[in-house]
Amino acid sequence: MKIVIAGAGEVGTHLAKMLSNENQDIILIDSDQEHLDVIDSNYNLMTWNGSTSSVASLRDVGVTSTDLYIAVTPYETRNIVSCAIAKNLGAKKTVARIDNHEFLLPENGAIIKKMGVDFLIYPEDLAADEIALALEHNWARYWGELHNGGLLLIGVKLHGDSPLLNHKLKDLPVKDHNFHVAAIKRNNETIIPGGNDDILRDDILYFITTPPFIQEVRELCGKKKRVIKKALIMGATRIAERFATRYHDKYHLKIIDNDRDTCEKLAVMLPDCEIVHGDARDIEVLRDINTAQYDAFLALTDASETNILSCLTAKEFGVPKTVADVENLQFVSQAESLNIGTIINKKLLASSHIFKILLDADEANAKCLALADAEVAEMLVRPGAKITKAPVKDLRLPVGMTLAATVRGDKNMLVSGNTRIEAGDYVVVFCLSGTIHKIEKWFN
Amino acid sequence: MQGKRKALFRAKSYINVRMLLRVIGWLLLTEALFMIVPCVVSVLNSESNFWKFLLCMGVTAACGAGMVSLKPKSREMGKREAILLTGMIWVILSFFGMTPFLLCGTHESVTDAFFETMSGFTTTGASVLNSLADVPKSILIWRCVVQWVGGLGIILFTLAVVPMLNYQGGMQLFNAEVTGITHDKLRPRVSFTAQSLWFVYIGLTTLLILLLNFSDMSFFDSVCYGLSTMSTGGFSTSDSSIVEEGSMYVKIIFTVFMFLGGINFSLIYKATRGDFRSSLTNDALRWYVAIILICYLLLCANVWSQGLVHEVDDLTIDPLFQAVSILSSTGLTEPDFHDWGPLATVVLIVMMVMGACAGSTSGGAKIDRFIILFKFIKNEFYKMMHPNAVTTVVINKKGTPSAVVAKTLAFLFLYIIVIMIGGSLLVVIGMPLKDSFFICLSAISNTGLGTDITGIQGNYNLVPDVAKWLLAFIMLVGRLELYTILLLFTPSFWKK
Repeated sequence: MKIVIAGAGEVGTHLAKMLSNENQDIILIDSDQEHLDVIDSNYNLMTWNGSTSSVASLRDVGVTSTDLYIAVTPYETRNIVSCAIAKNLGAKKTVARIDNHEFLLPENGAIIKKMGVDFLIYPEDLAADEIALALEHNWARYWGELHNGGLLLIGVKLHGDSPLLNHKLKDLPVKDHNFHVAAIKRNNETIIPGGNDDILRDDILYFITTPPFIQEVRELCGKKKRVIKKALIMGATRIAERFATRYHDKYHLKIIDNDRDTCEKLAVMLPDCEIVHGDARDIEVLRDINTAQYDAFLALTDASETNILSCLTAKEFGVPKTVADVENLQFVSQAESLNIGTIINKKLLASSHIFKILLDADEANAKCLALADAEVAEMLVRPGAKITKAPVKDLRLPVGMTLAATVRGDKNMLVSGNTRIEAGDYVVVFCLSGTIHKIEKWFN
Repeated sequence: MQGKRKALFRAKSYINVRMLLRVIGWLLLTEALFMIVPCVVSVLNSESNFWKFLLCMGVTAACGAGMVSLKPKSREMGKREAILLTGMIWVILSFFGMTPFLLCGTHESVTDAFFETMSGFTTTGASVLNSLADVPKSILIWRCVVQWVGGLGIILFTLAVVPMLNYQGGMQLFNAEVTGITHDKLRPRVSFTAQSLWFVYIGLTTLLILLLNFSDMSFFDSVCYGLSTMSTGGFSTSDSSIVEEGSMYVKIIFTVFMFLGGINFSLIYKATRGDFRSSLTNDALRWYVAIILICYLLLCANVWSQGLVHEVDDLTIDPLFQAVSILSSTGLTEPDFHDWGPLATVVLIVMMVMGACAGSTSGGAKIDRFIILFKFIKNEFYKMMHPNAVTTVVINKKGTPSAVVAKTLAFLFLYIIVIMIGGSLLVVIGMPLKDSFFICLSAISNTGLGTDITGIQGNYNLVPDVAKWLLAFIMLVGRLELYTILLLFTPSFWKK
């Protein structure tokens, strides 16, 4: 599939790198050659130095025969203009990154469509959703829903009080097969486990399960259910603003920022939130506002380091749930191994969202991203595929992958050794990143 | 069963040897594929050395298959592997490629056979054969096939056909082998870019062979000359110069295709897709044409002043043929070229150094670099008078970053150093002074011409053995544009 990505910023670059490893034809456009140089000589894709909103330059790039056009420069208007040009030149589908929720409203959909934009990406909005999900299911590190919530992917860090600790995966203390441990993250290492792998303290376990068994998983992990009412937000950034606008009814929010003008602006916008002017890195300030009484601490400033460290401070105060916005990708994995509840990354959110759009355009293999170096794929089983030949335990599947669940018609079921995969199933597969090509041949 | 793990912060291996061997395996298989051509020719001519070719092919294919079957732990290939591989593969392929010469007895020593093969792969076209009259046809065509493959690059061919290389590592190989300062990608994926370039190359070669076949040339000769001319190599099939026998028609065809061989192939590809604008506005192409015209006029003047004008040809096609042949580094010459006089020799040396456009099959330092050099010098002079002036080197209406200018200047300087050292070593070995520097220049620019001892057609039979190895090395340095090979000799490359 030919994909043109306009804007070699953080989202664009990340997306381009990812897609170029996926056998897609990628062209990355940016008006700054320096942004392109590094990626051009190291990745299997084409770069193009030119304006993203110039008809001539888009025509030169060959937008006329593009399947997907993704405009992700930092400027909303430029993205929309760029998409409009691309669409008129013949691009099949266009995606624009925006930073204005107006466009997302259903009644404005027609306007956007008329302008030539098929899909919208609003990273701050996605981040707000993600935070809400994290607060809702605050006992989990990661909460992902597949098939409209029919299947759940839950990542949990195990502390001392879980009955699962120090058991091998094949002899867990459970009666029924109500969940499937699809991946284990241990000290920066992602393991796709086999039956002989142990579960250790401080592991992050990724479970696949169905909604009726959420409680069982939670209890097995030794987690308590907690309802979050009061949340403290550090940094009046766009994510914070977006989250507060959408969820100020649900939670009692207090926002701290060290810029007075921003605080004042926010105070007008969000009259029912408490806005405090102060530096949340200052322990006095945190003590002053009685941080300990909050159920959640959301560190959403623009500085990843500040967010990580402040979350650790908040933990010291005894805040049960912390959420940090970590924009540096290399810090994400480090932050995960620290004692921080949930990590938000706008880039990953935006790119996995675009991935989903891609899936709708390309039916062959569905795929969604969840973890730093493992992939979760939804594969459609074709008639006569190798995987349908025998029950799963007799298949001699390659190491480094696990079949977590399958969707047959409307029914979601977990895969055990005796399950027999049938043609037409959608199978949820976990594998280490970069190994998906080995798995594809089992399904075709 | 233990699960499989993947660590995020894993250490990168120093050199991924298994992956390296595996790619070398693929390249050997590719070479074995090309050995089919001489096999077929020897069968058609009922030569006795058919089995020898089959043996060479078998050995090459077996080694290749053995290496391909290795399972590397990781497919990761960084810059170090790519450069090491590109440098090594040309030597390894030459060692395998020389086996037919040794087995068929056309070359007596390993030195001669290796020199001949390296000269072929680098499209230099220098030969150690005294006479081509008794050489079997299968050997003649193998020499030309070697040149043809070397012209665009065997790695590029493998990139086009082996899907395994269609990822980051392949990108690195592409950058290390393709000539030029920057590498335009024609299509998003490296394998498609490679395929497009080979599509142009194969298309042009086929056209050339067909056109030559329309003349009084035999089909065999047409194929051989087609292969060696398109790659701007210049191996021939007979002792007499092609120009001597050839009609006006043949000379024109040769001139046109040598000219095309010196153009950046991505421009030709774009032209086949209907985009002529990029060609018309390309600075390097304009300079290329201008230099050919200037050299043509100089050579005409020279021929005139030496009183060599006997026919119309002598002032029309002959000097033009000569200019294009040298500038594109093909190295075919007019039969009476050694009588043309000192001015002709000087023009010839300048053209050898220049070479044609980057991204073509030609040798030399490439016109693109000289454009940068000249524009840069012009700016420097301007700045002496206007110290506050801000100047940039503008090429194809785009500014050249000063880092690229610096890299180009370093390249040209290094080019001179290599010629100086290479020439000096040849003098030490015992070659005459003029010959030493001339053939060293000829080797690094992959032209393959010679002077006094070797004769203008470049017969290197009389050159000492040590000098042949040295020249083979210089040819390789020139073909891979200095950095790729010379980098292997720097300590920083091997530092962990």
